[in-house]
Amino acid sequence: MPAADPADAVFSALADGTRRDLFALLGRHGEASATDLARELPVSRQAVQKHLGLLADAGLVAARRSGREVLYHPTPGPMSEALEWMAAVGHQWDDRLAALERQLASRRTSA
Amino acid sequence: MNKAVERELLVPDTPEEVWDSLAEPTWLGEDASIELEPAGEVRAGERSGFVEEADEPSRLVFWWGAPDEEASRVELDIEETDEGTIVRVTESRPLEILSVRGRELAVELDLAGGQGPVASAAAGGAALVMA
Repeated sequence: MPAADPADAVFSALADGTRRDLFALLGRHGEASATDLARELPVSRQAVQKHLGLLADAGLVAARRSGREVLYHPTPGPMSEALEWMAAVGHQWDDRLAALERQLASRRTSA
Repeated sequence: MNKAVERELLVPDTPEEVWDSLAEPTWLGEDASIELEPAGEVRAGERSGFVEEADEPSRLVFWWGAPDEEASRVELDIEETDEGTIVRVTESRPLEILSVRGRELAVELDLAGGQGPVASAAAGGAALVMA
């Protein structure tokens, strides 16, 4: 089942090098079948299929049937959500640490 | 993988001076307050929480969250080095994994006979395994 927090699922899905390559490759192609993708990577079609399944669980790719083929395309929505959280929290800490630094500097001059 | 954000600050002050400065809560934001002791209260704007650990002057851990968001855990490690004092901040959301498992368990219980609420999870868990 998909994880309740999209960001955690996204990070685990992208923790693997082959899956990152797959995701990047799909980004370049726009859409591709597991067979097409396996041709460009040093892994079997079955392995590609398995990795695509994990990427799909994380909401990073979606599939559609086209005749006898299943075609995959990237859906980067949940990744932006995870990155947005990290960017927002990181930005807040930049501000707080800058404020702490100013506080310390003013203590120094008043001491 | 845990979702976490890490930031560092290097200052020429001693860890004790940094710790004293943490007690002036302006750095946390407008309308903020923090009690630097275990179970001490933390407030910053609409966020509130409590201190988990206060090991003067080297480590402060607290939890906080706004009413509509998942709680975060903030760790501040204050370390003296040859160059000065490093303040390392890590903010993460370690409870998310618990909420994932809670929801999975709730779903399993529903499948096992529609017992519904997560509140019955602890009691229902063992019965579910037997079934």
